Amino acid sequence: MESLGIIAGFWILSGVTVGASLAVFAVRNLLHAVVFLILAFVGMAGLFITLSADFLAVAQLLIYAGAISVLLVFAVMLTPMANRDNANSLYMLPGGAFALAFATIVAFVAIEVDWSQLRGDALNGRNFSTTVGDVGQALLGPHVLAFEIASVLLLAALVGAIVLVHEDERAPEDRGEAA
Amino acid sequence: MRLRLPFDTQIDAPSRFPTGIRQVITRPSLPGLKLALAVMTVFGLVSNVAIGVLVASGALDGEWYDFRDLGIAVGQLREGLDDRFDPAVSYIVTMLIGGIGILSLIGGLLIILPWVERRLLARFQIRRGPNRVGPFGLLQPLADAFKLMQKETIVPRGADRFIYFLPPVIVFIPLMLVWGIVPWAPRMVYVDTNVGVLYLIAVGSLATLAIFLAGWSSNNHYALLGAMRTVAMMISYEIPLSISLLAVVLMSGTMQLSGIVEWQAAHNTWFAFLMPFGLFTFFFSSTAELNRTPNDIAEAESEIVAGFHTEYSGMKAGLYLAVELGHAVATGAFVSTLFLGGWSLFGLEEWIPPYMILAGKISLIYFVLVWLRSTLPRFRLDQLMAFAWKFLIPLSIIYVLVVSLEASIFARWDVEGLIPLVIFAVVNTALAWFLIRRWAAVMGYRPGVEPTRPLMATGVGGLRAARQLRGDA
Amino acid sequence: MTTATDPYVLNIGPQHPSTHGVFRLRVVMDGERIQDVEMIVGYLHRSMEKLAEERTFTQNIPFTDRADYLAGMSNNLGYVLAAELLSGVEVPERAQYLRVIFAELQRIASHAMSNGQLVSDAGAWQTPLLYMWREREKILDLFEMTCGARLTTNYMRIGGVAFDPPPEFYPAVNQLLEELPERIEEYHRLLIDNEIFLARTQGVGTITAEDAINGSLTGPMLRASGVPWDLRKAEPYCVYDRMEFDIPVGRHGDAYDRFMVRMEEVKQSVRIIRQALDEMPVGAHKTDIPLALRPAPGEAYARVEGPRGELGFYVVSDGGPAPYRFHVRPPSLINLSLLREMAIGASLPDAVVALGSIDIVVGEIDR
Repeated sequence: MESLGIIAGFWILSGVTVGASLAVFAVRNLLHAVVFLILAFVGMAGLFITLSADFLAVAQLLIYAGAISVLLVFAVMLTPMANRDNANSLYMLPGGAFALAFATIVAFVAIEVDWSQLRGDALNGRNFSTTVGDVGQALLGPHVLAFEIASVLLLAALVGAIVLVHEDERAPEDRGEAA
Repeated sequence: MRLRLPFDTQIDAPSRFPTGIRQVITRPSLPGLKLALAVMTVFGLVSNVAIGVLVASGALDGEWYDFRDLGIAVGQLREGLDDRFDPAVSYIVTMLIGGIGILSLIGGLLIILPWVERRLLARFQIRRGPNRVGPFGLLQPLADAFKLMQKETIVPRGADRFIYFLPPVIVFIPLMLVWGIVPWAPRMVYVDTNVGVLYLIAVGSLATLAIFLAGWSSNNHYALLGAMRTVAMMISYEIPLSISLLAVVLMSGTMQLSGIVEWQAAHNTWFAFLMPFGLFTFFFSSTAELNRTPNDIAEAESEIVAGFHTEYSGMKAGLYLAVELGHAVATGAFVSTLFLGGWSLFGLEEWIPPYMILAGKISLIYFVLVWLRSTLPRFRLDQLMAFAWKFLIPLSIIYVLVVSLEASIFARWDVEGLIPLVIFAVVNTALAWFLIRRWAAVMGYRPGVEPTRPLMATGVGGLRAARQLRGDA
Repeated sequence: MTTATDPYVLNIGPQHPSTHGVFRLRVVMDGERIQDVEMIVGYLHRSMEKLAEERTFTQNIPFTDRADYLAGMSNNLGYVLAAELLSGVEVPERAQYLRVIFAELQRIASHAMSNGQLVSDAGAWQTPLLYMWREREKILDLFEMTCGARLTTNYMRIGGVAFDPPPEFYPAVNQLLEELPERIEEYHRLLIDNEIFLARTQGVGTITAEDAINGSLTGPMLRASGVPWDLRKAEPYCVYDRMEFDIPVGRHGDAYDRFMVRMEEVKQSVRIIRQALDEMPVGAHKTDIPLALRPAPGEAYARVEGPRGELGFYVVSDGGPAPYRFHVRPPSLINLSLLREMAIGASLPDAVVALGSIDIVVGEIDR
């Protein structure tokens, strides 16, 4: 499985992802930072493909590159001080602390996980062809509670969104604005 | 008759003026053309008979020269390369072949399609369309492209240069990616991924961002309005689009596009018959995502000039136009793959190369798109949003529930042949008809109400007469 | 919860696909909703009324068809009526009929243009426009046949019309009159059976009869609001008093009613032209007048029912060969003044449809 193409793809994609992530910090313009963040998302999707997790890759593309990115751009656009510099942040210190903590967790996981399952014969013995089916079985089998909680959460979000933007039933004059 | 002129000379006034100033330029007929046509006809007949004999004898089946499925040749090439070299070599070679195929497909389409669209539109509009550059005006798109390339790229003052130059490139990527999963024949797929339907939605949603960035970076109110409209529309219409695809996935039991086509081929049916409402939802939502009439509000010319690409000039504007055309054809490809049986045509795919069948279906859908564009006015933004949220989404949710019920019945019912499918088709069509009528009535639409014609007054009057007329009405 | 957004200014025009010429709307918008509209005209001002004071009465005729270039005949007619009123020139009866025929043909051409443009503004990709232009082209061919020009006809003269129509005019106009009712039914099948078109025009840009009269609207705009007012009946000029026709009157005063009223007026124009062709006597088409016409000092105001409304010409003579004062009452400028009422509170697409339904011609607004 460790073919040349996969290895080359992995390094290229990692380079893109890491480079884009660094650029998010480096560029001064907030919107440029968002664009680089989206590039990092797309790079992540590519990394999932090299791991044969195509469902995850497509979901990443759909949710992060397709939906979250638009949300981010909207958020930047609707921010009153969107022209402000990227570096001009009040949360430099807490942010740095959080990043350090997160990096520690990732490093801990990377060291602790038994990677032998993903190497050599153990890897060749595994079947990667039907990730969709496996994901579906897992979601409606062992993890059905989490799945249901997520659905309820999303439903609540939907209802909340409708309540927030619901038009006032009163006549326009009562609200003191032009029709 | 004499005209009185201010000077001495009196001239005969022309009693009539030339009436037929439009000259019809007739081309001299070509005797060689008829001969060439005759030769081509004979050649076509002979070669078709030869192909028929080859197909009937079974000599073609699965050989590398089986022209009915170009994927076979590539597959055998790949096997041959695998034997001799590192797997990476065959991987890269086939990747290049497929990539070049897709790129040349898109390139060819973009060269011929503007001409096709303009000629068709001209026919619909009792005009002639481009007919000056090259034979039948065929070189018109090339001339247009050269013109666009020579033009200056103007960057508006206050535009964000970095983001301004990105979107014309970004919008092209989904167009190329989306062609990768189209099954042209049983083995003629570039990426036969088992998440094909999800991939289609995911890649389709990438364009939203590019359009939004284009509108935002142009520093122009028209562009921003267009971008906002696009985003609102794409987010709204992705939901019914996904739900209609979900119905297809439930019924066929796979997200693989080739699997969906094979299901339709195996059951000798099309999803268009089985779920007509799904076809309508998918088609309508696609026109919304494509910015085509009647849903082209994002670039509504009479309102916001050109929408998000108002400020783009030269080939950057040309790229947007090209992407729009390419997406229209891609929609044709997916409508025909998902709902019209893809490369299958009730057994005829044994005889006709399946990619030709698919191409024919794509042309059909594309023709319908051009037809709609030339016929229908445009919806207003709020009407379009209301249609998505109040009409398409509730109805498609009901519909997908029914289809999932049918899918589970179908999986458990041991009746051979088409009987359950025919029942489902009848039930679904009737249900779609009933739901649409009922829901429209609930939403306040009264069909059959004749649009009012003006009243006819015989005398004149003022406000009193107006009130009287209104009272009579 | 309320989300506050800042209103912003959008300049629609002077170069914009749906301003029908060089004309600017300065729109204050909140999102897609229009809060305020300022109409800025004057980009096509050619100072016609001042120029006319330097030219003889006859030389002024070409100015009039360049004012409203979509209704040259009607403008010619209004001006020559005013000049005749001022100078007391008698017009032969055949010329009166020819004037009616050409003014009504011009009305059909102008309504075809404006209705097609309205549908185009509603987003139909120019197809209805081009179909309606088919009829307009035929009418312009008739004009070309008769007077050599298509738009700037310069056909009506003080004391008659410039030319008698050639013999091939009559079969051509009869064929056109045969075709027109069928064509109108075809457009109705294409447009008023179309839910999208109805959704885009019904209830858009509504003006009540009271507002229409207060805003001194005229023409199809006024009639669409429900007021049966037509100068051809109220104050007949030429030989309109001998013609039989009805006045189409709208019910709601929205863009859809304006469209339908225009369509119905085309049918009525066909009726009028048929009658005029039947009754037209033989005889001279023009009385000879001195080239440098010197009317007695005085003033005259003549008004005709142009395609866009009441088209008035006010001419003052001081006894010289040129008018002392020349003034036009442009119907589309006055009709345009109610766009503010129609557009405020509407969304941008509705405002565009409302503007299209007014049927403005910037050449006439700016003169």
